[in-house]
Amino acid sequence: MPRPVGWIVISVILVMACSAGRAGEPEQDERVGQIMEVVRTKGWIAYSARSDNGTWDLFLSRPDGSRSRNITNTSNYEEAAPRFSRDGKKLLYRQLAGGSTINHDRWGFQGRLVIAGPDGANPAVVDQDGQWSWATWSPDGKQIACLIPRGIQIVELATGRVVRSMDREGIYQQLFWSPDGQWFCGTANHLGTMWTVARMNIATGKLNVVHKFQSCTPDWFPDSKHVIFSSRPPGQTASRGYGWTQLWMADGEGTGSQLVYGEDGCHVYGGVLSPDGKYVLFTKSLRDGGGAERSGGTMCLMRFSDAPTIGGESKELREKHRHTKDGPVLELGQGWEPSWTYEEIGSTQ
Amino acid sequence: MMPAARPVKLRRHVSLLGLLLLAGVGCASCASQTDPGEDPEVTTRGSVEVTARLVEIRGEFPDNANYDYAFVMKYEVLQTHRGEVDSDVIYVGHYNPRKPRATVADQRARDIGGNLDQFRAGDVHRMALETPIDDYFMGGIVDKYFEEKSDAIYWAVWTNRVVE
Repeated sequence: MPRPVGWIVISVILVMACSAGRAGEPEQDERVGQIMEVVRTKGWIAYSARSDNGTWDLFLSRPDGSRSRNITNTSNYEEAAPRFSRDGKKLLYRQLAGGSTINHDRWGFQGRLVIAGPDGANPAVVDQDGQWSWATWSPDGKQIACLIPRGIQIVELATGRVVRSMDREGIYQQLFWSPDGQWFCGTANHLGTMWTVARMNIATGKLNVVHKFQSCTPDWFPDSKHVIFSSRPPGQTASRGYGWTQLWMADGEGTGSQLVYGEDGCHVYGGVLSPDGKYVLFTKSLRDGGGAERSGGTMCLMRFSDAPTIGGESKELREKHRHTKDGPVLELGQGWEPSWTYEEIGSTQ
Repeated sequence: MMPAARPVKLRRHVSLLGLLLLAGVGCASCASQTDPGEDPEVTTRGSVEVTARLVEIRGEFPDNANYDYAFVMKYEVLQTHRGEVDSDVIYVGHYNPRKPRATVADQRARDIGGNLDQFRAGDVHRMALETPIDDYFMGGIVDKYFEEKSDAIYWAVWTNRVVE
């Protein structure tokens, strides 16, 4: 077999190993069907995915993958990383020039910030050329916080005015504001080490470590006391020691770290909780970084009560985590950076 | 057969001429290799401009094309051209140091560059710098000197090769 063909075959097999059916097609597991039934009426998820026109667009679907529809449908732009405001009334996302490659690690700097209705209606560009990078909603949706090199800026959306600036204390990407408004979490440099998940007290500006070493993409649990994040623990043998990225959680103080989902053969990113904290959305992909540079990863949904769960054979991972629950995982098709609201969205009902 | 011997005087002239030629070639060669690293970018960018010797690269540059980072390196300042540095020894963060400076700029670090292709301990660089690094660069920083220094880290805006 000619070498290029061989590589293509191997790549297809590997990609298939880390992907599954299209939105709404369950695995042959009765428990998956039960999850689908329950989550079908629990609001909407927004996510970015490649559309038929070849560019990244934003999509809405029910959390079981049904009723998926393209809400941006622009062939001249790439849209990515949608985030519902906590009340589900608005959606923020990044918009890049058509043909741009979304970088899994730099996306918060890329393009411009757009705020629209939750169904993508009335999109408004609210910054100039990446001025408000890594924007995250305040709990009431009236402000956003952004990361810029000189610090964190809190911006009042009604006026566009910066109402507070503070040191970023080494946080450099993936900033998220806690639902109770008291904390930020983000990926930081701390004590000479990069890729540390950290929490910042907004009142005092003080930083504490949540999880060190090869950890990133943190986000909040609804209780504002726990953080979900991706981590690639040391000591793995796969890929000459590079290993696989797993989904983890810890409390805000940095204690009680535990695996949420892992699967040898896949990198797991984009962890986000449902608004009531009962479900976890994430993406898994063969390529490190979540697949933003291509077509994303397989979006997955599991019950939080099933954590820790390990997917696939994952011999090495199972050796390290012997008491997993192996709960059902609903696979939702290709996408990237999903967000979940329990609010009903007017025109999509 | 041995070559016929030249007259002594002629041989002396030829030898002298040869030496002069060699010296000339040598000087020309020296002149062409000496390079102070000066150009319109390094002399205008940043708030500090130095010529400094790269004393040490502590540890290895992470080899992962998926991730961006700045790597802190230790320099001995030989000459300050613009601005001020607090010490003869400074710590400079270089962005994605496995890449040539001419192609290193990207969305995370837009306005950086230079003509240096490769970092090697002992080499001399002419650099335009800013400080502190956090005001100019927002990304992962590998700082192997963290526990032994309290000085601010400089951010390398422009890095040119110097040939002494």
